[in-house]
Parts: sequence; C-alpha cells; structure tokens
Amino acid sequence: MLYLLGFIFVILGPLCGGLLSGIDRVFSARMQRRQGPPLLQPFADYVKFMKKKSYIINGLQTFLVAGHLIFIILSGWILYAGQDILLSIFSLTLSEMFLCMAAFSASAPYSNMSAQRELMQMACTEPMLLMIAIGFYLSSGSFMVTDIISQKTPAILHVPGFFLGFLVILIVELRKSPFDVSTSHHAHQEMVKGVTTDITGSLMGIIELSEWYEYFLMFSYVALYFVSSNPASIILGIVMGCVVMFLMTLVDNTFPRVRWERMLSVCWATTLVFAGGNLLLLTLLKMF
Amino acid sequence: MAFLPYVGMALKNLFSKPATESFPAGEREYTDRYRGHIENDIEKCILCGNCQRNCPSGAIKVSKADFTWEIHPFSCVQCSKCVEVCPVKCLSMVNSFTGIPSRSPARRRQRS
Amino acid sequence: MAVNNNAKKISVVPFGPQHPVLPEPIHLDLVLKDEKVVYALPSIGFVHRGLEKLVEKRDYEQFVLIAERTCGICSFGHGMGYVEAIEKIMNLDIPPRAKFLRTMWAELARMHNHLMWLGLQADAFGFESLFMECWRLREKVLDMLELTTGGRVIFSVNKVGGLRKDVTPEMLEQILHTIDDLEKECRVVTDTFLGDPDVLSRMKGVGVLTPGRAEELGCCGPFLRASGVKRDCRMLGYEAYGELKFEPIVSYDGDCYARCVVRIEELYQSMDLVRQCIAKMPGGDIDVKVKGNPNGEYMVRIEQPRGEALYYVKANGTRFLTRYRNRTPTYANIPGLIETIKGAELADVAMMILTIDPCISCTER
Repeated sequence: MLYLLGFIFVILGPLCGGLLSGIDRVFSARMQRRQGPPLLQPFADYVKFMKKKSYIINGLQTFLVAGHLIFIILSGWILYAGQDILLSIFSLTLSEMFLCMAAFSASAPYSNMSAQRELMQMACTEPMLLMIAIGFYLSSGSFMVTDIISQKTPAILHVPGFFLGFLVILIVELRKSPFDVSTSHHAHQEMVKGVTTDITGSLMGIIELSEWYEYFLMFSYVALYFVSSNPASIILGIVMGCVVMFLMTLVDNTFPRVRWERMLSVCWATTLVFAGGNLLLLTLLKMF
Repeated sequence: MAFLPYVGMALKNLFSKPATESFPAGEREYTDRYRGHIENDIEKCILCGNCQRNCPSGAIKVSKADFTWEIHPFSCVQCSKCVEVCPVKCLSMVNSFTGIPSRSPARRRQRS
Repeated sequence: MAVNNNAKKISVVPFGPQHPVLPEPIHLDLVLKDEKVVYALPSIGFVHRGLEKLVEKRDYEQFVLIAERTCGICSFGHGMGYVEAIEKIMNLDIPPRAKFLRTMWAELARMHNHLMWLGLQADAFGFESLFMECWRLREKVLDMLELTTGGRVIFSVNKVGGLRKDVTPEMLEQILHTIDDLEKECRVVTDTFLGDPDVLSRMKGVGVLTPGRAEELGCCGPFLRASGVKRDCRMLGYEAYGELKFEPIVSYDGDCYARCVVRIEELYQSMDLVRQCIAKMPGGDIDVKVKGNPNGEYMVRIEQPRGEALYYVKANGTRFLTRYRNRTPTYANIPGLIETIKGAELADVAMMILTIDPCISCTER
C-alpha cells in the first residue's frame, strides 16, 4: 500500500519541477532587470526538444541517459514511499554516475573534461549527502522515512548544522554559481554546455525531464527537515522548500564562478564544521 | 562581506520595472535623427538616377522607362548619401523601423 | 606502459570559432597537458570580407561608408582614420569645430566599447548580473549617440572635408547631464568588480607579460600600457587631442587584473575628455569644400579603443584609390595573447582572451 504513495513523486515531479524551473528563470531575469521568459517556458522547451532529431553519437548514450532518468525517479519514489533514506541517496549517486558515463561515452574534448569535473563535484557532495542520512538517523532513531516524518518535533530542531551543510552542497547539486564548474543552465562559459554538450535532440529532452525530477527531489529533501507528526507541518515544509529555492536563485545571481579547487575546499570545510560540529554536539549531549 | 552590495542590488532589481522593452509588443521611441529607412516623394522625383549611382551598396534601382523607383530596404545601410545627392530633395530618411524582409521585399514607387 | 604515458596526457582541444564566451569567431587549437595549456595555435579568417579590395570599386568619397563598416564597435575610428589620411593628402584644413566634434564622438565610442568589454569580462566569470548591469549603462551612451548622430554604433558622420551633421547646444547639455549620472552608476559597478575577492583571486598574477616581451611582440593599446610601457597615440595630438589635458594611464603589474584596471580608468578618463571637449567647443563651420582628386600617399596613426591602428592610403589622381591598408590593434595583440596563454589553466583561457579585447572583424576585414 505504501509503495503506491511513491507514484506521487513520479506524477508530481515533472509538474512541480518544471514550475520550479520556470519560476527560477523568471526570478533570475527580474534580478538582472530583464523581463524574462513566460512562466511555463520549460514545458514549451521540453516539447520542442522532443520534436527534434537527435544525432546519436553511439547507441550506449541512449541507454546511459535512460539509466540517469530511471534512477532519479527511483530515488524520489523511495522517499515518497516512506522507505530507507540511505537507499534514496545511493540511487541519486548512481544516477549522477550514469550522467558522467553518458558524457564520457561521447569521446569529445569538452564532454570528457566536464565529466572529469563532474566526478570532482561528486567527491565534494557525497560526504555531505551521507551525513544527511546520518543526521536523520540521529534525530529520529531510524533510516526509514515513515519514522522520520512521524516524530513529535521536526528534524531541524535536532540537526540544524546538517541542514546548513546541506544548503551549501545544494548549490552544487542544483548547478548554480558559484559552484557550477561542470555544467549549468545557460550555455556555460568555459566548458560550453558541460556534461550535456554532446547530447542533442530528444535525449536532451530526457535530461531536462530528469533535471525537473532532481529539483523536486531536492525540494522534498529540504521539506523533510521540517515535517513532523503534526499535519500542519507539511505546509511549513512546503514554504521552507520555496524559501530555500528562492535563496538558491539569489545566490546564483550574486556570486561569480570559482575554481574547482576552491569549491572542494569550501564544501569540505562546511561539511566538517557544520555537520561534524553538530554530530559532535549531539554525541556529547547523549552522553550527559 | 564583499558580496553584500550584490545581494542588495539583486533584491532591489527584483522589485523594479525591467530595463528592457518588449518590442514589438511595446512601443519603441526613436530620436529625431535616427536613420531608419528611406522614403521617396515620388511626385517630385525626376528619375535622374543620381541616388542609384551614389549608393554604396546598390540598393536603389531607378527605371526611367517604367517610371519606377525601387529600394531594397535590407540592402540599404542607412548612410543617407542618396538624401544628400538628390537634386530635387525628394528623398528623406524616416526615423522608424527598417522593415521586415518577408513583408517588404522592395519598396516600389510608381510615378503617375 | 611508461612510454605511452606522456603521449596519453597531451590532448588538443578546439576552442572556437563557435564558443559561448567569444564575442567574435577566432579559432585556437589548445594543446593541453592535464588541463594546463602548453601551446596555442591560432587560426583566423572566418569573417574575411575583402574590404580592402573594395577600394578599387567605390570612389574615395563613398569609401568612408565602407571603411566605417569594417567593425561595429571601432567603427568611428576607422572612418576617422581614413578621412584624416585623405585630408592630409589633399592638404585640406578642416575647421576646429569639426575637430572637436570628432574628438568628442571618438571618446564616446571609447566609453561604450569599454563598458561592453567590462560586461563581457564579467560574463566570462559567470557573473551574469554584472554583465547585464554594464550593458544597461552602455545603453545610456548609445542613446546619446543616437541622439546626436542617428545611429547607435555606426555613426556615418565623417566625410572627406569635415562632418555631415552638426550638434545643437541642447544636445551638448543633455550629453553633459547624462555623463554625470552615468559616472555615479559606473563607480558603483567598477568598485564592486575590482574589489570582489573571487575576481581578485582569479585575475591577480595570472597571464603576466613583462614590458620588454610585450614590446618585442608588438602589442599595443591597453594591453601594452598594463605592462608598464607608456605609449598612447593620442599624445601625438591629432584632431583636437593636442588641446586637451590628459596623461596616458599605465599600470606596472602586467597581469590580467592590471589590464582591467587600465581599461576602467580609461573609461573615466574618456568621460573627463568629453567634458573638456564640450567646454572648449568652438563655433563655426563643420566642413570645407572638396575639389579634385587626391594624389599621393599618407599614413595615419590613431588610438582606437583597443589600441593603435594604422591607416595607409595611396592615391593616383583618379576618383578611385590604388591602395588602402588598415592595420588593426587586435592583429598586433594576438602574438601577445598566445604568449600569455602558455602555462595557463584551461579555465582561464576564456578570461585571458577577453583581456586583450578581441575584435576579430577588424583583424580580418
């Protein structure tokens, strides 16, 4: 019965993710004093991508891009079906690997270099993502999402440090400046379009779709910090999700891109300080 | 914190009117001297062909036999040379949009 | 295994001609070793239009319009250089008002060029909001140009013997007013750009060119002045520059940051020069009558926004010229660019190409 709840993600994902993506573009444009595209532009773009002919570089690429989409959907499905959060995070990592492999399989210079940078990016974000799962375990005593959301107090009160660390790597996950070293939403300045340089046509449409799923998945992770057994907390979760997404757009328009060495040091420093510090505090509190 | 002015700028811009105009949905105000396209007052034209000889891009074609004067607006580089060399001053540079190629292949004026 | 390792590490990455960061098409084959550039091989020729040949088909008065359209941004300089060469051959003495107006328009062109360059430089960093802000300020300069000349980037006001259009005192008042507002807004933008720690970390000490090497390679313009060589063609005193007070802006570091500083300071210097021009503007005619055809040869050097440009004209007494040769600043700066790219990281190549302010349409005519 619970497994059917997972399909909420599969259906809501494109709709909400596309809407979030559209709102992000309009807000970005207004912050730059431009008018910006219409709100539903991402959907129009998707339709256009699917109509185009894709120049398939090799047959392997189709399989890898499809794998990328399937594992993102699986990641969100696990979350919404109330299952193990660690599995959800592992599935997310696997889908990133599929994207990297799709870029490597193109054997073109810019794709290869961006894929190497993407791997570097994963080395920055993986520790913190695992810490998130550990944080939820510490606040609720189990890895299952059904237990996490049925606690008396929301997880944010126990593990605020983990939340702050998550916000920093969320910038990397959502591909926003200052940490958009491997690919970004507009034609990237150094690596042309990054990992998706050699992906065209309907395959690019599938990548767009998986980006929307990723947006909605991150939104859900943020909301998970605020949901507790009180039904009104779901509204709080949604509001905080929207606030965090707005913050991401603001950060995107405020900072220039940094070199990957700096991104590595900033991400690891915040992981150690915020998540590590919070972990230490909780362990000490449990001892006394 | 070095990025604070930018944050202030971004938030202020969010609540101000966009600096861009949505042309052609909105109006575009041209200044008086703007070089848009060439118009010919055909009744005054004597079809001497001076403008055709002096045009650097060959956009004007004058035919004395058919009484026509023709300009291809997208070959025109808006230099106003024809306006200067016209002996009867029938040509003028109008300060509005040059034209859309599919709808204005050549502007023909026939003299009665 | 060990034999193949070196060969495997070297890769050749094609940079351009279509690349989101480049304003104009230039092709560089970057030979990389582990994301560090070992050598760069340039190829140009994507926008060659054969404009120098066209001088045999259009008479010397009409050719001003063609010379102006060599490039969209350095357009006024090209027109001015060509017309000066012809005037010197024919020994025409143009009235002082025409000289001052030409100087004013040349400085306004320099302002809009540097603002455009600043926006592109910010964009190369991923700083989109600053890019949009600079170009919004540039629109104000373009509005002033549209008000006085009728065109935003191609002015068509130069002619052999003077100018085709005059300006009214109200227009000059409006220009002064706009420049005052513009200066305040530009200060905010440039101070934050130059003070940003991310920008500093990426530009300081990167792409250093020593003064001796820069002169050896034949660089010119702000690229050269940022390496400490004090050379500015405006000091030669052509047009009305002899009567204006200014000093060339020089920086002694020779890195990318120094080039940014030099151009930004030149922006403010241009605003000051426009104010001086308007204050000293004489009255009178704007053109002299031109009789006959030119016969002889002459070479003119002017300071374009991007550097020193040479104009050589050879005439033989007929309406058509024999030869027109234009050596543009970017053509001279490309060897300097190749030198600075060696040893740089791939991520910095785009930014370094933009610090020379490339104008490939001028380079290839």
